[in-house]
Amino acid sequence: MTSLVSVKGLKKSFGGLEILKGMDLEVRRGEVLSIIGPSGSGKTTILRCLNLLERPTGGQIDVDGQNLCKELPDGKMEYASRNKLREIRKGIGLVFQQFNLFPHMTALENIIEAPMAVNGVDRSTAIGAARDLLESVGLAQWADHYPLQMSGGQQQRVAIARALAMEPAVMLFDEVTSAVDPELVGEILLVMRHLAEQGMTMLVVTHEMNFAADVSDRVLFMDNGVVVEEGPAAQVLGAPQNARTRGFLRAVRDRAPMDEEQQ
Amino acid sequence: MSSWDWSIIQRCWPLMRDAAWVSINLFAWSLVLATGLGLVLALMRMSSFRALRWLSALYVLVFRGLPALVILFFAYFWVGRNLNLSPFQSGVIGLSVAAGAYKAEIIRAGLLAVGRGQYEASEALGLSKSHSLRRIIIPQGIRVMIPNYMSNATLLLKSTSLASVIGITELTGRARQLANSTYKPIEILTAAGVIYLALTTVLTVSQEILERRFRLKT
Amino acid sequence: MSIELIQEYVPVILRGFWITVRLFLWSLVFSTVIGLALALMRISPVAVLRWISGGIGWLFRGIPLLLILFYAFFALPEIHQSLMFDPFWAAVVGLSIWTAAYQSEAIRSGIIAVEKGQIEASEALGMTKRYYMRRIVIPQSIRIMIPPFIGNAINTMKQTSLAAVITVPEMTLLARQIISEDFKVAEPLLTLAFIYLALTTLLLMAQQGLERIFRLKV
Repeated sequence: MTSLVSVKGLKKSFGGLEILKGMDLEVRRGEVLSIIGPSGSGKTTILRCLNLLERPTGGQIDVDGQNLCKELPDGKMEYASRNKLREIRKGIGLVFQQFNLFPHMTALENIIEAPMAVNGVDRSTAIGAARDLLESVGLAQWADHYPLQMSGGQQQRVAIARALAMEPAVMLFDEVTSAVDPELVGEILLVMRHLAEQGMTMLVVTHEMNFAADVSDRVLFMDNGVVVEEGPAAQVLGAPQNARTRGFLRAVRDRAPMDEEQQ
Repeated sequence: MSSWDWSIIQRCWPLMRDAAWVSINLFAWSLVLATGLGLVLALMRMSSFRALRWLSALYVLVFRGLPALVILFFAYFWVGRNLNLSPFQSGVIGLSVAAGAYKAEIIRAGLLAVGRGQYEASEALGLSKSHSLRRIIIPQGIRVMIPNYMSNATLLLKSTSLASVIGITELTGRARQLANSTYKPIEILTAAGVIYLALTTVLTVSQEILERRFRLKT
Repeated sequence: MSIELIQEYVPVILRGFWITVRLFLWSLVFSTVIGLALALMRISPVAVLRWISGGIGWLFRGIPLLLILFYAFFALPEIHQSLMFDPFWAAVVGLSIWTAAYQSEAIRSGIIAVEKGQIEASEALGMTKRYYMRRIVIPQSIRIMIPPFIGNAINTMKQTSLAAVITVPEMTLLARQIISEDFKVAEPLLTLAFIYLALTTLLLMAQQGLERIFRLKV
């Protein structure tokens, strides 16, 4: 079975600083992959490279059979053209840490904007689909509210619905709970769990180890721009083989002593 | 100090009122043209073509570095004479060209103030650049720009007074004429001042209304 | 358009250069003093002072500079014999009060922009108001007010060109005379434009220099 997302030798430098030092990643259809690691390890950069919000300086990325970028024989990089890129992006859903909802539009308007403009869906169909999506994230009553009238947890759920409205093949989640008050994190994770149970292919960059343990199929630990360890969730999180992985997990868990039962 | 003469104001009022309308006319035309020019320049500044970016930056640098009066002289003596324009038309051109440079910066700052995340979210959803500019960025940019835009518009209103120097009979020019011919400069000039204050107050109130209309609902 | 003519006109126009510079410098000095006074009045706990300052600011920002200059030149002598200035000083009076109205806003915004938290920390540490204003608040305010302050100063420099309208022999007037006497337009105006651009660029560089001096070390 070919992978839905295939990354080979991904490199990314910002100015003189090399953030990603050549990493590989494969995600199969229906799989949930969590990426964990310390700040500055490059986790967010990977996601942003996956839909070319950042342009890799090396390597090859293919999503759903389409090539986003590759290295030419002479060493230069070739990126998908602007039109091709827009096509590919329809199949990739990205949820941001800062939600990035359009503040001057209601929740409903946020969700229908892209399907109408990009996929040519007519307004009534788009609204119907949007209401269904809002229902599925538990916000049916909030359709006509504006982002600033909602809590962080609610805004993020609208953001997820907005990405889902484009019916993507894969969903990317960039630390989507980090900017949200702790008591609101659960409602977001619940939505993501439902999505996973429905078979959505998901790539999740997260600090939430419990979520990673419960919902992911595989976990990838990154440090300093390279993949340190990768494998089934239970193994990487429960019985990590690499010393650095163990060190990181210990440091994370020391911050939340109540999670001991998750060992 | 001799006593205040109300009757002179009464008698001169029709002349001053008509001149005030000329000022308002100059202002309206120049505002529209300057805004259009500013929008074009701001978009040029965000273009992917380096030549357009440079041209826009150069325009702003030059026309913000020159006194408005000098720009008006260029418009009247050079452009106006060569193209056979009326003084009013030259005046509008001069004022618009000068104000356009400021509008360009105001519009650009407004568009930049819209957080990067909005651009990225639009891109990630597959929206085209023109669509996201039109539906996402510019509406939010307008909200940010309103204060600066309106204060610049107020400046534009006041700069219409310069048109008197190239022979247009707007309010300030008329006031000077009357002040000299009636030997009552205090009354006339004060009356002119009051009219200007009324006009700028209208603009200030408009600003309040616009800010309220564009406020984000929390 | 001939280069020889430009070379011929440069010294003619430059005869007005020092007048322009002196107009600018005097106005800068007076406007800073008056602007500071107005700003302090504006944040004073005494309501009357706040109103007076606010009123003056509103008044002089709401009417055109040209009208203010006419007032200084034509109307002040009518109020009192001793207020008859020669054109140069009338221009300085007008420019100073006009600029002061804007500088007071720039200075005030600098002062209030220093975070309340800083003042609270200073008071918690037991400092007197005089002490922390001097050592904590004012140094930071200066950094914040530099851009708008210099922006206003650059405007003042450009607006010295209006003094030409009340017969002060500064550069713009001299250029205007060349136009009427020699019937040449492009050469005198271009020369004038270049000189003004040089002056504003100098001031912009001064602004960047000042910003660098006062920048926070990171």
